[in-house]
Amino acid sequence: MTAYRIEIDQSLCSGFGTCVETASAAFALEGGVASARVRVSDDPTVLEAAAGCPMGAIAVYDGATGEQLA
Amino acid sequence: MKNDPTFWILARASGFAAYALLTASVLAGLVLKSRPFGSRLRPATVTDVHRFLSLLGLGFLAVHGVALVLDRAVEIPLLALLVPGVADYRPLWTGLGVVAAELMVLLVASFSLRRLIGARNWRRLHWASYATFALASVHGIAAGSDSGRPWALGVYLGALAAVAAATGWRILVPPAAARARRADPRPEGGTVDDRVPHRDRPVAV
Repeated sequence: MTAYRIEIDQSLCSGFGTCVETASAAFALEGGVASARVRVSDDPTVLEAAAGCPMGAIAVYDGATGEQLA
Repeated sequence: MKNDPTFWILARASGFAAYALLTASVLAGLVLKSRPFGSRLRPATVTDVHRFLSLLGLGFLAVHGVALVLDRAVEIPLLALLVPGVADYRPLWTGLGVVAAELMVLLVASFSLRRLIGARNWRRLHWASYATFALASVHGIAAGSDSGRPWALGVYLGALAAVAAATGWRILVPPAAARARRADPRPEGGTVDDRVPHRDRPVAV
């Protein structure tokens, strides 16, 4: 099972909330800005959330290899 | 030089170009929000296009204003570009254009000020995009000297129909991600490792 490491550039986030709609277990909006509920997730929808971010503010890495996946 | 139509032609052409770019930018913003093309369009790319169209529209807007001041067919003082209703030429309708232009400047500038005003306020402010488009449409139709021509009417009706259709889509059809989530809701925190809350850690780029 792949562990996905989530990183958010909050200076880019504009609070669209698409990540929360896509993967609410992993993302939350705090003060209108996205934050990660968790640092690492095994839920592949975090990849979809990163790909769907309108600002390209979310990066997801393979927890084992460090390779950027989205 | 009184009868030289160069600046008058430039003012009309740049006005239409600014309106077309504003329309395209509004449509890109609506596409970004409602995702009618699913995953075929990368949202971050749409955002870039949305911003680029807005900036380019502002450029044409500046040309529109400067050309109107320089033109001698209609007397438009420099102050009339900033204060609504000062121009003698169709003051109400040109005034609406000034308000639309100022809103457009505010909306474009607000993107760079998101950190200052907060993401939530920035999104609230972005609702003014609809007012900007509506005011620009009324300004173009009522103040423009080409509005009686079929092609010009076609431009306005086409723009209004496109934005109305995209807005209707936004209201009636939820984005694919929201639809999928409604169909298959996941339990909160069920599949994640939350031993290290990310919000307590420094944010990495």
